[in-house]
Order: sequence, then C-alpha cells, then structure tokens
Amino acid sequence: MDEPHLKRDLGLIRTTMLGIGGTLSAANFVIIGEAAGMAGYAVVPIVFVCGILSLFTMFSYAELGTAIPLAGGEYTFAKVAYGGFPSFLTGWFEWLSNMFYTALSAIGFAYVVSYLLPQINIPLTAVMVVIIFAIVNLRGTKETGTVGTIITAIVLAILGIFVIGGWSYVQGTPATTQSASPIGILGVFAATAYLFELYLGAEAVAAAQAEVKNPGRNIPLAIVLSAVVLIALYTSVVSVAVGIVTPDVLSHQSSPIAFVAEQALGPAGAILITIGLAIAGLAATNEAIMAQSRVLYAMSRDGYLPKGLCKIHKRFCTPHVAIIVGAIITVIFAATGLVNFVVYAVNLGFIIGFSIVNLAVIKLRKIAPHLKRPFKAPLYPLTPIAGIAASVFLILFIEPSVLILGLELGIVALLVYYIKMVGHHRIRIAFGGISLGLGGFFAFVAYLVGTNSIVLHGVSQEVSTLIFYVLLFVSIIQVLAGILNLIASDR
Amino acid sequence: MNARRVLSKIVGLTQTTIGGLFMIFAFLSFYNIFGIQEMLGVSAEGIGLYLWTFIIFGLLSIISGLFLFYEQ
Repeated sequence: MDEPHLKRDLGLIRTTMLGIGGTLSAANFVIIGEAAGMAGYAVVPIVFVCGILSLFTMFSYAELGTAIPLAGGEYTFAKVAYGGFPSFLTGWFEWLSNMFYTALSAIGFAYVVSYLLPQINIPLTAVMVVIIFAIVNLRGTKETGTVGTIITAIVLAILGIFVIGGWSYVQGTPATTQSASPIGILGVFAATAYLFELYLGAEAVAAAQAEVKNPGRNIPLAIVLSAVVLIALYTSVVSVAVGIVTPDVLSHQSSPIAFVAEQALGPAGAILITIGLAIAGLAATNEAIMAQSRVLYAMSRDGYLPKGLCKIHKRFCTPHVAIIVGAIITVIFAATGLVNFVVYAVNLGFIIGFSIVNLAVIKLRKIAPHLKRPFKAPLYPLTPIAGIAASVFLILFIEPSVLILGLELGIVALLVYYIKMVGHHRIRIAFGGISLGLGGFFAFVAYLVGTNSIVLHGVSQEVSTLIFYVLLFVSIIQVLAGILNLIASDR
Repeated sequence: MNARRVLSKIVGLTQTTIGGLFMIFAFLSFYNIFGIQEMLGVSAEGIGLYLWTFIIFGLLSIISGLFLFYEQ
C-alpha cells in the first residue's frame, strides 16, 4: 500500500493569498505607530525600503522553492545546502519562530477584539483561536487554503476602503510640515530594523511548496506577487495614516490605524478597521499553524525528531501529529501572555532563517551548478548578498537580551540534536548517572532536614518530619532509576 | 513481562511524576503561592535561581523516568 502523502491542491491565487495572509498580522498595524514615533514622516519611505530589502530574500526563497520542491521551507534548503547540525538548527528556529508567531497572532487578535468587546478574556480568546485553526488545519490544505483565501480577501478589501477613504480625507485638509525624522538618522535606522517585521510571513509559500500545483511557475510568481501587493498596501496605509494624524500623535495610540480611521471615517471606520485587523490576526494564525507543522513534519521525516511526528492522516492527508503537537505548545505560550518573549523569539528566528536562505542560494550555486532551477534570483549574487546584509543590519539594532535568548535556544537545540543523534543507549547511561547524582543530592538534603540543619520557617516539627520522609523517598527512587538506567541492555 | 521490566515501569512512572511535581513546585515557589518563599527563607531576588534549579531537576527526572517507562 502506498504511503499517504501531501496533496498538491494550491493554485496561484491561493498560494499568493497564503503569502499575503501569513504577513497581514494585526500586530503589524500596531507597530506602525511606534515606528512613526522613531522616524517621523520618514516612516513612509522606510516601509517601502523594508519591502524592497525583504524582496531580495524573497527572490532567494523563490529560487530554492522551485529547485527543491519539498515541504519544510528554510529547513529543507539548509539541509540540501549544508546538512547536519546547521540544517537542524535552521529547522529548530524556524519551527519555534512559527510557533511563537502563531501565539503572537492569536494574542494580537484577542487584543484587537478587546477594542470592541473589552470584557473578553485575552488569554482564553487566544487559546480558543489556536485550537479552532489547528482543527481547520487538521482537515487539510484545501479547507485551510479556502478559509485563508476568503479571510485575506476580506482584510484586503477593508484596508482598501481605509486607504481610499483616508486619501479622500487627506485631500480636503491643509498640508502640515514637519522634519522627516525627529531623532535623526539613528531613528531612521532603528525604525527600519523595527519595521522589517512587517514583511515576515510571506515565506509561508515556501514552507507549503509540497502542496502547490505546478510549483515551477506558481511559487516564484506567488512570492513576488505577494511581496509587491504587500509593499503597495503597507506604503499606502502608512502614507494615509501620517497624512491624517501626525507621527507623534500616532506613536501614542494603542491601535494607531483604528485611531486614524476614526478621525477620517468616524466611529464606523474605527469599527470596520478593527474588524479587518481582527480577521487579519486570524489569517496569520492560520498560516503560521500550517507553516510550523510542515517544518516539524520535515524534521521528523529526516530522523532529527521522533518518527511519530511525520505521520500523515489517511483521510485528510495532513501531518496531524505535527499539527497537534505544535498546537499544544502554542496554546501554552498563548495562555501565558508572555508577549515580549514571543516577539523576540519570532524576530530572531526569522532573521536566522533569512540569512540561511540567502547563504544556501550562494552555496548551492557553487556546489550544485547543474541543479534544475525553474526560477533564478535576478542580479545574482547581488540579491542574496543584499539579503544577508539586511539581516546583519537588523542584528545590529536588536536588543542584547534577544541575542542572549537566541544563544540559549541554540544551546537547547544542540542538546536535542546530540540526544537524538548520539545513540539511545549512551544517553540512558548518561541519565543513569544524573539520576544517581540527584539521588545523592536529595539524600543529603533529607539528612539536613532530618537533623534540623535546615530551618523551615513557620513549619511544625510534624510537617518537617513528613518532608524528611518525602525527600528520602525521592532519593531512593532517583537512585533506583539511576541503577536501572545504568544496567539497561544495549538494544 | 518479567520482574525487572515491571520494576522499571513503576520506578519510571514514579520518577516522572516526581519530576512533574518538581516543576509545579518551581512555579508555586516563583509566584509565592502558599507562602513558600517565606517557608524556604528565600528572598524575592534569589527565587529565580530556585526556579531554574527546580525546573532542571524536574526535566531531568521526567526524561530519565520516560526512558525507564518505555524500556523495550
């Protein structure tokens, strides 16, 4: 019997909408206000420049996506170009960042909705959104693509109304003059690094390449089309926003675009744009769940993670175990509401991913010059080098705490890779030793408690005795576990 | 199932449970639920170290316990 596999049922329109929908997160329209505060009216050209910088990397995605038409996105590209730990590390960060991006989109949706319904519970709403879209993804890419396409079309229509309505309003008001950037060239650079996040998500097209019809034609077209639409959309929205409200005022709004819509179109405009942004949050959640599950599927398929994660559902032809595992972890992050941690993880993961993709293009052109490439990045090697330079530039403006977080996540990845690749029996021996050590430690603590060398404040003698016996029990279990792991047979 | 495999399953399950309880205890102490910080005599500044220590102990116990529980 043939092994079930992913179905190719995404056409050009749905693939393009996948890229746009993955990018149009509600959070993006909130950070525009902060960036306006950094760069003043220069925020408009910055949005355009960020789109062009992002497009360089999108060309690399298009080249690799058509040359290597397999699921997994950046991870698959890194595996073909480098293999071993670099590919595992890329997949690890790609999976984490997509999972965090899912949580962020769901939380963003909940915050946007709370503008109209202030009584809702933010974490609970975010959790419900993740669960609902995990179920939608479980049912297959046809349903996922259809739902995503409809949602993205609605959001684009609402933002179109905002741009046209706002533009008409701007024509009827006197022009204002202000310096381009209130805090100079550093403000412009900081805003550029900050706003680069606007275009994250369009690479969802590459992650779903195994499900795209005629990938040689549709993947590069969809990637370039979605980038062009997004550049036009974001530039128009920001132009209208700073045309109606000064950047300084904009930077003090929790929902800047809804605030601008209220000034130009009245309360109905604010409600409409809030609905649009809420829907955008849903679309981004949907695409991110799909992207993270495909990365997990690919890493499992290649033996880096347990094989159970790459099981394909016989009826829906979706990687259901990967979707469920990712959704469970995402729900935990969404429920905690640790927004800053989630944002940092998202940005770092994508920066690493962008760099690897551009490096992979250069490497594969050298080591595999005869690889069939239905699409080639134009102006090679300038485009991938420009993409790498943009990533390095971004890192210069990232907070040191984010870099420390990245280092920690890298160490965890190294541990996971080592545990998986070094061999089951040797790992068991290592854990046997650790358990013996823990047993000895708990025996020592039990001794200190039993002899009253450790004073537990506000605890009666009876409870102290009970704690002593609990610690003794833990110590015995740890020692037994250590011995059993050490004497385990090598099978 | 021989006696050693039964023992491995019991010890593995117990060790995994202990690990899970350790991680719950880490969060209870971090958020000072039931006044645990005062009971242990730990300052609010130093609780981060306790949090990470308990989480690491918990994780190691869970992984070791799962190795035993799923022993072939």
